[in-house]
Amino acid sequence: MSILLESKELSKTFVVSNSQENHILKSVNLTIEKGEFVSVMGPSGSGKSTLLYNISGMDRMTSGSVVLNGQEISALSEQELADVRLKKMGFIFQHIHLLKNLNIIDNIVLSAYMNNSTSRAQVNERALQLMKRTGIAELANNDITQASGGQLQRVAICRALINKPEIVFGDEPTGALNSKSASEIMDILADINDEGTTILLVTHDVKVAAKSERILFMLDGNIVAEQRLGKYTRGGGDDIKARETKLARWLMEMGF
Amino acid sequence: MLLKMLKKDFARKKSITIVLFLFIWLSAVLVSAGSNMIVELSNSLTHLFTQSKAPHFVQMHAGDIDQSAIDTWSSTNKLVKEQQTVEMINIDGSNLFLGSKGESEKNSVMDISVVTQNKSFDLLLNLESKVIQVSEGEIAVPIYYKQQNDMKIGDQVKISAPPFEKVFTVVDFVRDVQMNPSIIHSKRFVIHPSDYDFVKQNYGELEYLIEFQLHDFSTLNEFSQAYQASQLPKKGPAIDLTLFKTLNALTDGAVAAVIIFVSILLNIIAILCIRFTLLATIEEDYREIGVLKAIGISSRYIKKIYLTKYVVLAAIAAVAGYVTSLFLNQFFTANILLYIGSAPKGIVDYAISIAAVAVIFFMVIFFCRLVLRRFNKISTVEALRSGSIGDAKMHRFSPSLNKSKLLAVPVFLGIKDVLQRFKMFRLLLVVFLVSSFMIVVPINFLNTIQSPTFTSYMGIGQSDIRIDLRQSDDMIARYANMLEVIQNDEDVTRFSPLVTSQFKLINSEGVEENISVETGDFSIFPLDYVKGNAPTKENEIALSYANSSGLKKDIGDELRFIVDGQEKKMVVSGIYQDVTNGGKTAKALLPFNKDNVLWYVVSLDLKSPQLMQQKMAEYEKAFYPAKVTDLKGYIDQTLGTTIEQIRLITVVATLIAVLVSILITSLFIKMVIAKDNAQIAIMRSIGFGLKEVRVKYVTMSLSVLIIGILLGTVISNTVGPMLVSTLMSSFGASQIEFIVDPVKAYLLSPLILILVVTITTLLSILSIKKSSVASLIAE
Repeated sequence: MSILLESKELSKTFVVSNSQENHILKSVNLTIEKGEFVSVMGPSGSGKSTLLYNISGMDRMTSGSVVLNGQEISALSEQELADVRLKKMGFIFQHIHLLKNLNIIDNIVLSAYMNNSTSRAQVNERALQLMKRTGIAELANNDITQASGGQLQRVAICRALINKPEIVFGDEPTGALNSKSASEIMDILADINDEGTTILLVTHDVKVAAKSERILFMLDGNIVAEQRLGKYTRGGGDDIKARETKLARWLMEMGF
Repeated sequence: MLLKMLKKDFARKKSITIVLFLFIWLSAVLVSAGSNMIVELSNSLTHLFTQSKAPHFVQMHAGDIDQSAIDTWSSTNKLVKEQQTVEMINIDGSNLFLGSKGESEKNSVMDISVVTQNKSFDLLLNLESKVIQVSEGEIAVPIYYKQQNDMKIGDQVKISAPPFEKVFTVVDFVRDVQMNPSIIHSKRFVIHPSDYDFVKQNYGELEYLIEFQLHDFSTLNEFSQAYQASQLPKKGPAIDLTLFKTLNALTDGAVAAVIIFVSILLNIIAILCIRFTLLATIEEDYREIGVLKAIGISSRYIKKIYLTKYVVLAAIAAVAGYVTSLFLNQFFTANILLYIGSAPKGIVDYAISIAAVAVIFFMVIFFCRLVLRRFNKISTVEALRSGSIGDAKMHRFSPSLNKSKLLAVPVFLGIKDVLQRFKMFRLLLVVFLVSSFMIVVPINFLNTIQSPTFTSYMGIGQSDIRIDLRQSDDMIARYANMLEVIQNDEDVTRFSPLVTSQFKLINSEGVEENISVETGDFSIFPLDYVKGNAPTKENEIALSYANSSGLKKDIGDELRFIVDGQEKKMVVSGIYQDVTNGGKTAKALLPFNKDNVLWYVVSLDLKSPQLMQQKMAEYEKAFYPAKVTDLKGYIDQTLGTTIEQIRLITVVATLIAVLVSILITSLFIKMVIAKDNAQIAIMRSIGFGLKEVRVKYVTMSLSVLIIGILLGTVISNTVGPMLVSTLMSSFGASQIEFIVDPVKAYLLSPLILILVVTITTLLSILSIKKSSVASLIAE
């Protein structure tokens, strides 16, 4: 497999005052391969979300470099970065973050219309397919206030996938959901990954992380260990309980 | 504690507080300046009329007089307190040279005369409102020329009609209670009696002002009727004190009215802004209000916290506005002080401006209280639980992006946002509407008054050249000669001779009074009529608006005239507008009254406009001393001062409108951006660049602006003319229709606003750079 995303010596420092700096990320080196499903775990304040936002170009790193599919993104301008996010990346957030004045289908088609690489009719067709697949087709013209948290997170997934991104980033995508919804969302993400989309998640939840292929453990701004669970295939006889137990044990060893 | 909260609130909302302060301040400045203008105008007029001992009734007369007959009549009339006959030497414009410029006043429409200082009343005053005294060789020049020709003390005035020539030195300027305003076409120069005798022996024709002061001004009507019924001289119009007052007050009165109107508009915007800010603040502080209520603080006290800020703000702004206006008053009243002079001010005069500012202050507080009634609706539990006021409901009408085939996404989002949050955008819409109105109305009015077709409001049809022949000894012969020349002139395509003479009519009280009637063929240079048509039959008459309302006669009504000693019934056929000759004129097909001709006018059109200058020069020479003017020149000289004032108003109104648009747009967009921070961060996270976000917000402000401009333009062209007509009806023009310069009104002024609003929006959304999901989560 080839490397899709790579960070070298990625650091992020917040200046609190003239005499005080807060080093959140300390020279993080990370490699994600094409088609991989990676989760980042670690205690609160370890720098998981900061890593996600810096590696995705949503936040500006203090030093280091990030290369996405051969393209150095740390040197890009704001407008070029926006273009990369639009065409090559998808995002799923814990608090969902949909545009509240758009209905469900409009939230999904929005970035594809912006992308402008296919006709609007084709975009609408793809949006409908994605919604069918995630089980929210009947909500297409609903207001976002007329859907549950789980349903809205499916909308966010559809939005993240509409431009066929090379990688999907998830920041605690199931953090605000009940366990049933969370499990369903993770199954959808696993399916997407099966189809070849690379996924990088940040999570606290062992059950969520157990469905990913590789787990990175962060502590004090750096990746200190990793655990490979192998590809999870739904309905492929994989024992999810066993994966969860293995992961939990490892995490305990790490002091989590 | 209140003070602490106020300080914190100010620190938190610096820009909105400053903008609100500016609005209330500007509103206070204008209302104070406007009311001060009115007070100053009224005081100065009273002062001028007292100092100059203004006559109550003046009969102008061109021709011989028998002073002993006037004396006898006056001494027997119980109403008369004093009588005085002013003798004036008419100076032809072509013989008068003002200042160092070598050109004569031949193109002036003014009737110029020299006089000596009067003895008992109608005193001609100087700039200090003292009675003018000039020595031999000296002259005092009307204020009109000080402004128009930029004359200075020490300049020379030459009367030259070879071989006669006399040079004077300017020692003073004349404040003339009768003839001050530029709208009055007569001007008096004051010279020493011995110089006067010298000029009289060597030059010119005489004209008289037969002036009366009455014991009691309220008997003016009775006196006027008695005079009309007498055999005393009356070859010329009769005017009275009321007309002097109106004409003196017109221009500045109109300016003051406009200033007060603008002030009220600004105050309305300030109030709307306060409403918007207060509601936004309450929404922001909703949870805190819930907490305060939960710990037992009464709604009344919480209201007081919010109200105190605005009371303090409005009070400081109002006081600052009043103080500023004290410095600006000089500028606003400069014209009044120049033409009418200053009067000592009393405490009451200051009190009026203070009261006007107080009204502005109380209006602000009243509306604050009205908005704050919302507190009563806030439920403690709801506030604590949801932390949201719950009225941020989206409008139901919302177009779908997935159904839109053409619009670019950011443009679509901008328009959709405006439609959905229309309630919020109302403030911006009102501001843009008012701004557009404030720019377009003065521009249209200025264009109208400058347009050659404005002659329609001056009671004259539109022609290339106008020749005025006034009362003189051989006027009839000159007139006949003039007609013959014009008739045979091949360069003239059409011409229309009109004669104005005086007739008697019997008014509703059965008393005879004089009326100036223009006779001739009115179909050659037709006039726009407010109602009805020009007279087409012998028994028809058209009245000016001022005459129609004065005589209370409408179309179809009858008027009783005395023609050749016989009573003749005339039917009113039409009503037209006229701002000349005090607005009181009439038009009929009657054969003119030879004994009482006031003036002749010939209007004519030339084959080609290129011939204009050549023909004017030719006619000036041939028809001397008739006045030859093109229509633009005629308008400029008659309404020059008014046009200047309106031009100033246009510039000031445009500046205010632009400033208001900048302030409110920036304030509003900043608040919207603060509100939309999360939404902008989401947009950026899914691939919107800064450029697209900017396009969205510029689309929002521009779409509101375009609706505002459209509505503003419609209102400017419907309500605007009504407003201007109300203002102008005292001039004699009751129904003004705008002559619109489409480039200025429909292209340039919207472009100015579009440019200003776009730049302001772009500058106001600089902070979107900081919006990102990463920082949103960090919060």
